[in-house]
Amino acid sequence: MNSLVLLLLIIAGGALLSYFGHRINQLLGNITVFIVALIIPIYWFTQVDFTETVSLTISGFHLEWGYNMYGKLFSMIVMILSPLALIYAIGYMKDQKKLATFYFSFLFSILGMTGILMSRDFVSLFIFWEIMTWSSYLLVIFLGKDVEKTGIKYMVFSALGAYAMLMAIVIINNNTGSMMLADYFTAFGGFSLQTKLLTGILLMFGFALKSAVMPLHVWAPGAYSNTPMAYTSVFSGALSKMGIYGLGFVVVNLFAHANMSIVGDVLAWLGAITAVLATFSAIFQDDAKKLLAYSSIAQLGYIVTGIGIGTELSVMAGLYLAILHAAFKGVLFMAVGAVERQAGSTDMTVVSGLVRKMPFTFFASLIAIIALAGIPPLGGFVAKWMLYESLITNGNFLMVIMIFLSSTAAFLYCYKFLFGLFLGQQEPEFDHVKEASPLMVVPMILLSLFLMVTGAYPGIVLKYIAAGMTNLGFHDVSWQMSVLTNTWGDSVNFQHIFLAVVVVFVAFLIFLTWRGYKHSTKVSTKDISVSGEMIKPEDNMTYSKDFYKPFERVLQPILKWKINKYYDEFGKGLEALFDFMRRIYTGNGQTYAVYVITFLVILLVFSKSIFGY
Amino acid sequence: MEGIGYKILGAVLTTILAFVVGMFYGGFSRKIIARIQNRVGPPVWQNFLDVLKLLFKKTSVRYGVMHHLAPLWMITMSVTTLMFIPILKDGLFFTNLNFSGDLIFLLYIMVFGSLGMALGAGATGNPNTAIGVSRGLTQMVGFEIPWVMALVALMIQYKTTSVTGLMDIQSQSGTWMMFSSPFAFIAALLAMPGMFRYSPFDIVGAPQELASGPVSEFGGKYLSTMMTSGSIFAFVKLTLYVDLFMGGASNLIVLVLKTFALYLYPVLWGAVSARFRTEQSVRYFWGWPAFFGFIALLYAAF
Amino acid sequence: MYNDKESQKIVDIIQNYARKHSLFILAYGTGCGAIEIPPTMTSRYDAERFGIRGAATPRQADVLLITGYLATKSLKRVIKVYEQMQDPKYVIGFGSCTINGGMYWDSYNTINVLDKYIPVDVNINGCMPRPEAVIAGFVKLQKQIQEGKADGWDKYKKNLDYYKENQKKIITNWVMPDFNW
Repeated sequence: MNSLVLLLLIIAGGALLSYFGHRINQLLGNITVFIVALIIPIYWFTQVDFTETVSLTISGFHLEWGYNMYGKLFSMIVMILSPLALIYAIGYMKDQKKLATFYFSFLFSILGMTGILMSRDFVSLFIFWEIMTWSSYLLVIFLGKDVEKTGIKYMVFSALGAYAMLMAIVIINNNTGSMMLADYFTAFGGFSLQTKLLTGILLMFGFALKSAVMPLHVWAPGAYSNTPMAYTSVFSGALSKMGIYGLGFVVVNLFAHANMSIVGDVLAWLGAITAVLATFSAIFQDDAKKLLAYSSIAQLGYIVTGIGIGTELSVMAGLYLAILHAAFKGVLFMAVGAVERQAGSTDMTVVSGLVRKMPFTFFASLIAIIALAGIPPLGGFVAKWMLYESLITNGNFLMVIMIFLSSTAAFLYCYKFLFGLFLGQQEPEFDHVKEASPLMVVPMILLSLFLMVTGAYPGIVLKYIAAGMTNLGFHDVSWQMSVLTNTWGDSVNFQHIFLAVVVVFVAFLIFLTWRGYKHSTKVSTKDISVSGEMIKPEDNMTYSKDFYKPFERVLQPILKWKINKYYDEFGKGLEALFDFMRRIYTGNGQTYAVYVITFLVILLVFSKSIFGY
Repeated sequence: MEGIGYKILGAVLTTILAFVVGMFYGGFSRKIIARIQNRVGPPVWQNFLDVLKLLFKKTSVRYGVMHHLAPLWMITMSVTTLMFIPILKDGLFFTNLNFSGDLIFLLYIMVFGSLGMALGAGATGNPNTAIGVSRGLTQMVGFEIPWVMALVALMIQYKTTSVTGLMDIQSQSGTWMMFSSPFAFIAALLAMPGMFRYSPFDIVGAPQELASGPVSEFGGKYLSTMMTSGSIFAFVKLTLYVDLFMGGASNLIVLVLKTFALYLYPVLWGAVSARFRTEQSVRYFWGWPAFFGFIALLYAAF
Repeated sequence: MYNDKESQKIVDIIQNYARKHSLFILAYGTGCGAIEIPPTMTSRYDAERFGIRGAATPRQADVLLITGYLATKSLKRVIKVYEQMQDPKYVIGFGSCTINGGMYWDSYNTINVLDKYIPVDVNINGCMPRPEAVIAGFVKLQKQIQEGKADGWDKYKKNLDYYKENQKKIITNWVMPDFNW
């Protein structure tokens, strides 16, 4: 049987098996999930043949599936992140209820994502897109909190995006007569200007909504924080990248090569604004989950900017950042889940001082935060470097300033995340906290190792990105293992950077530890210098509330308007309109009878003037 | 192998040079401030004695691994940044690795050390350190904007992003960038006291404010490492300014003269100014310095 | 090499030279004598030319100035602060109150002889000592450091029981951790 169909069947079968396994017994279900989580990537990496295609015809619709390099790139994100998240979920979801539906929806969303990345025609793209949306919706409302606010909001927005895409697909079918993606790309040049804009913008609307570009991002903070953390790592890591996949196609393939780069510029500006405003919102959050959710929106803003600009280096930057974002956001959400499970809460004004109790979680989140902040020598800097270089060489200097502002402000919430959860005073109520189980820690450590390796040798990932970019219309993308060059000929050698930092660090570490080694004493966090006072157990020495009050005072005018308010006003306006309609459509049968009779009377009385006799 | 030997020797020599010069500059600044205040002041080698005394402390106190590693991050950052900045225009010992980096890399690695120190300071559990770090990071958002605007203006105007490239352009055209991109220079100069954390932007480490903020729980060898790193970093920043705006230097005497001339500006202004609150400093940086940066960007683009 | 008396002296000479020319004073005014510290540190009597600087926390400081009388309430905090400082550390007693009780010799809640509770290296008498006397006291401390005789911190470690017994006798609500060094 065709290996692609077999892949989909394996995932679907895995979903069903996990469902039934968990209905029977939790241990059996966990083992099933573990086996499925290992089989899927192993099969994908070894058995799948990337050159074959599948053609099916179902009730008049011709479906075609096959991989190209671009789809393979994104599938790698899905195939590496999802099994690790599944293994993490086994540890995280222990002793919770309704596990059967959890794993079923999880695996079905993986099915949806895999299907999107191998569809070659619009119908299968739409089908798999909807499968992905529905399964993730089931997981958003899994815990049953705030179903109306977050779940319904997510569903409404996703439905909006899906209908926009459907409209675009119908218009395309009308104009080209076929549903194939390839036909759309070749025929795009011949469309009228209206059709180009209409289909392009509608498709972009659907994809940008999934990538939480402002002002379509309002579903994201609630959705990301309300799902169980095991799924949020996949939700924010892989699902949002489906939107990037689509945007990449539409913007780069169509507009840049059809000389309509203004659309790409608008998208890039939206991305930059998203980055700045989402970063500012993330700084003032008290809940670690919401902080990470806003930070995800900001990072997606960077990626969208990179793709929107459309030059070779910037698209490479956007795609590289997409891959890295999946890795470090995956780690961060997993770490937050571990903290939530062990300590009971993720509110940073409550939890503090977990660094000695959960050292591995801290180490993994430290590496992930360094990669997020874009600090050398880890991988995040590579992506940021490419993005800045491409923006500067392209001459968009205002956008560079905005991205820099957002990047610098990102340090604030990075520090707040680490300090609020892990550092600070050790409160006695968290003395019982132990390190999370190995099922949860090992995926985090593996992903952080990946982040460290790509810092010195970004070429490992660049190879696949360069191959993928050929499908977007760039040919002969050159890459090197550890050196990056921009169009003006300036280059940066990452291996040297990594080596220099490590050597200097180790040299000074030896010196500092050896000097005075015998006379060094370790003290607890209660022995701090507070003017000679003794700290009593009921004193609160943790500084975590209003952490960035001075910055809030500076940004006071900007923070006043929130996009949520505009949506609320719009919703209220619609409700007022519906109230008014209620007066006409009263639901009362006799009123309707009066309407019908009045209409017939009018017809009779004025029949002469209306009908002419 | 010869190349590697010379490189390592050059790295060590550069570090020692930066350490010595940075410490002397600290001593000179204390002497100058003392003379402004009509008193004698300590001798110019005072900083060396401070560092030595701290190293010779017989006991040391640590709060955990992160706390132990914090001064290490700072000094790693200072020394690594030193490696990637061209100290002299050419020469055997002092070129190090400056071909392998560029301005954007330098911008980012300067933050690496503060983040490490912030984490180590947070590990002590003293609320003063956390407040100090949050103020310091907020101020950083402030001064980074005009500084980055100035640098981006330079990069766009001369179409290169490496420091050696900018230095070559200055030596080829014969004029310093101070004069050919004046607005960028003004913006960068106005951002300089923020980078050095001198008055009026020294609320982060002020002893009277929060028991000296982030460094409050570091003593002994850790404090000596931090003071060393601070002076090396001051030298690094001054050299970067000289390379970008004043044409670099081809021998050590000229370098010392130029950096000292530039260093007088934050010292003298800091000696007579009061301290800003955090939000006042951020609003100041987003005001006139950012305005000059914006003019520099427009000037560079057209 | 460290067993040789001659070379041990050289290392000691360098160490003591560094220590005596860079004294960090903890900014802690324990009593009314602290009013004489600002004139000493500022322009008229400039103590900075000796390398004397203020430090904010006990972790950074070398010298603890007990300026004037000590109530038992402040004595408890002073002991905690003294124990938080890192070796080698020096204590200077200001004013007559630290020597023999001074003006408050018969008060019900001040201590009379500071040396019983924490080891004092230099005493400066006067009520209050003028800045010239303060600087003379610092010079005397510097001379003691140079000769290696300023070893109050060592005395504290060796005679810990004696000091603790005295402290516990006079401080009634003893809620303090054990000293660890």
